[in-house]
Amino acid sequence: MPTPLSEALATLRRRHGEAVIRSGDALGGVEAWPTGLPVLDHRLTPGGLPVGRVSLLAAASGASGRLTLLQALVAVASRERTAVYLDLVGSLDPGFLADLGADLSALLVLRSPSGRWGEGFSMARSLVVAGAPWLAIALPAAGAGSGPAGGSRPRSDLGWEHRLSTLVESVAARRAVCLVSAAAPLPAALGYASSLTLECAADGWEEAHGDVLGLRTHLTVVKSKVSTPGETAALLLRYPRPFAAAEAVGRPAVVDLTATRKVLDVPAVASDIPAVAG
Amino acid sequence: MSLPRVLCARFPHLALVVAWRDHPELRSEPVIVGGAPELRLPVLAASAAARASGVHPGQPLREAQQRCPEAAFVAADEVSVAHLREELLSRLNRLAPVVEVGDEVAWCDLTGRHAAHPDSTGWAVAVARCIQELLDDDDVAVGVASSRQVAEIAARQAGPHHIRRVAPGEEAAFLAPLPLSVLPLEPAVAARLAALGLDCVGAVANLSAADLQRQFGPVGMDLWHQARGGDGRGEWSPGHGLGIPDPPRRLGERILLEGGTGDLEALRFAVHRSALDLGDRLRHHGCRAAAVILVCELEDAEPSGLRITPLQQPGSGAELWPVALELLAGMALTAPVTAVRLEVEGLRPGAGRQVDLWRGGDAAGEEIGGVASRLRARFGQTAVRRAELTVDPGDLPERRFRWIDPVAADAGGEGRGARAAGVATELTAAGGASEGSRGRTSEHRQVTAASGVPAAVMPLLRR
Repeated sequence: MPTPLSEALATLRRRHGEAVIRSGDALGGVEAWPTGLPVLDHRLTPGGLPVGRVSLLAAASGASGRLTLLQALVAVASRERTAVYLDLVGSLDPGFLADLGADLSALLVLRSPSGRWGEGFSMARSLVVAGAPWLAIALPAAGAGSGPAGGSRPRSDLGWEHRLSTLVESVAARRAVCLVSAAAPLPAALGYASSLTLECAADGWEEAHGDVLGLRTHLTVVKSKVSTPGETAALLLRYPRPFAAAEAVGRPAVVDLTATRKVLDVPAVASDIPAVAG
Repeated sequence: MSLPRVLCARFPHLALVVAWRDHPELRSEPVIVGGAPELRLPVLAASAAARASGVHPGQPLREAQQRCPEAAFVAADEVSVAHLREELLSRLNRLAPVVEVGDEVAWCDLTGRHAAHPDSTGWAVAVARCIQELLDDDDVAVGVASSRQVAEIAARQAGPHHIRRVAPGEEAAFLAPLPLSVLPLEPAVAARLAALGLDCVGAVANLSAADLQRQFGPVGMDLWHQARGGDGRGEWSPGHGLGIPDPPRRLGERILLEGGTGDLEALRFAVHRSALDLGDRLRHHGCRAAAVILVCELEDAEPSGLRITPLQQPGSGAELWPVALELLAGMALTAPVTAVRLEVEGLRPGAGRQVDLWRGGDAAGEEIGGVASRLRARFGQTAVRRAELTVDPGDLPERRFRWIDPVAADAGGEGRGARAAGVATELTAAGGASEGSRGRTSEHRQVTAASGVPAAVMPLLRR
């Protein structure tokens, strides 16, 4: 004899299709895109960035290394597949990406002409639906300028949360990788949409002979739907320089300081960090 | 999942094999194929004895005669070469699911396991023997590796009558001691690498991608991939075998008939034309169709259609036409026909499928390019761009790169959807690609009768 529950389930399946209701054990695990960085693939995330989900690089304020890390991962992705970079900050330097090893011919750069987040999300969604497998989004601080001419975000950018939710749906449907870099204050909708949030906090500049070689940063998994949150790691985001000896020997742009310090047993010494954005 | 394995077999030029078949007495003589030396034509192929005298393909025949005066000059028999190529393709298809045959080289996808040759070495030996038997020549060199390029280099290194296998994961180690000349480099790039003191593939493989790209631009990225055993950007990479794009699931052709017609001859012409065009597209995708549908759109009435599941799945225009004709014969038309629509569905890779070996790109890439172009049209030229490093950047950071149109940058070769000129065509992709599928699910093309029909038939269609 059919129960009210079974009748309701049958109605839902008839109206919306078989896929709308599945048992919990049929959902399976989350596929991951390996970044090639052991610290990300093995320590902070289970196998890399989750596929079909939105990952977020968040920062409290000031220099944190989130954009450098985002661009280093874009460089890795562009060597394997078509990557899309939605530049709502308006500060992308393709030369720097090339120094990080990006294949520029496999990278599409999107810029919203009006600077509106919603418009940018719609543009990015179109490309994801068309099959773009890797999407990076560089967001300015929620109240900061993003348009081509700078200035504050237009007041007409209402409803960007809705565009974000449709983008998230498309990323899930097309099994794309989506990585967002955003600064504090983090919009609630963005934090909600993220399946994996890594918080970047600067530890200090890496210097040698009075020259800045890179930025030491501290990564913490503050939210994760795919693994256990709370994991931490220390990284050196090395700024590549054309024609430097380090580039000739192929030194990576992202160095896992935690592992290095364990081996060398060298304490980290932080330098003063000026309060600059980026 | 099985590791990808690609076999490359190098053999004497098929035109040379045909010449030896026609003139067995020339087997041990220097032979040059291309025509009489008086002709201003290039050398198509040369036997080993002629090559030893300095003759090589592409050289003018007159110069070849000067280098090897005792050589026999033979004209190329293109018909026999085409037959031999088809025969080779057919035989190799019995041994491997995906085969590409050229005039001097053949490729087979040996990914997975063959029922009759469970050992991969035995499988490669069977392919080599098959080629030797058909060409009646022992001068076959075989290379097996996980990427197309490494397989070809392995075949070159193997030498005649030998098989060189490169184990998965050992591509870079295999390439490392070889000279840079084994890679397909532009002369300028090769000269610059030599000037930098890089004399072997391993030395280049040790450089970073960023460094190579800074020096050589996109070519540097290709070089970076190739030196590590890949196939270069835009072609095929390890892990994808011979890299066949997914076929669409449904194809369609629609011909508009001006003013509507009930003339059976006109309808027959339109269906014939649709069948041939659709057959070309099936061959292009290397597919066979499980079902064929013919729909006649009627004036002031509901469209009339029939669907058939043919016993032999059509894969070309010649095979599709009888099926379409059978459908047309079974159609009961009650009003003038304004358009004829022929569709095929249930597409699956057909036997003897050729891959587009020399053309990069895939359906997903074109789809992205199409969307990028629409975004540029809607939001302006700066909405979607691609950066390119400049050759002479100067001192300013902003001069290190320039922005380019991503669609124009991709349009170097013929687009996958581009069709023959002279016929006004409209290609539309209906429906999005299904989840997990790289290819388009369906594509339908519309041809107006006025633009695509010979003038002699036009009165019939206008009636």
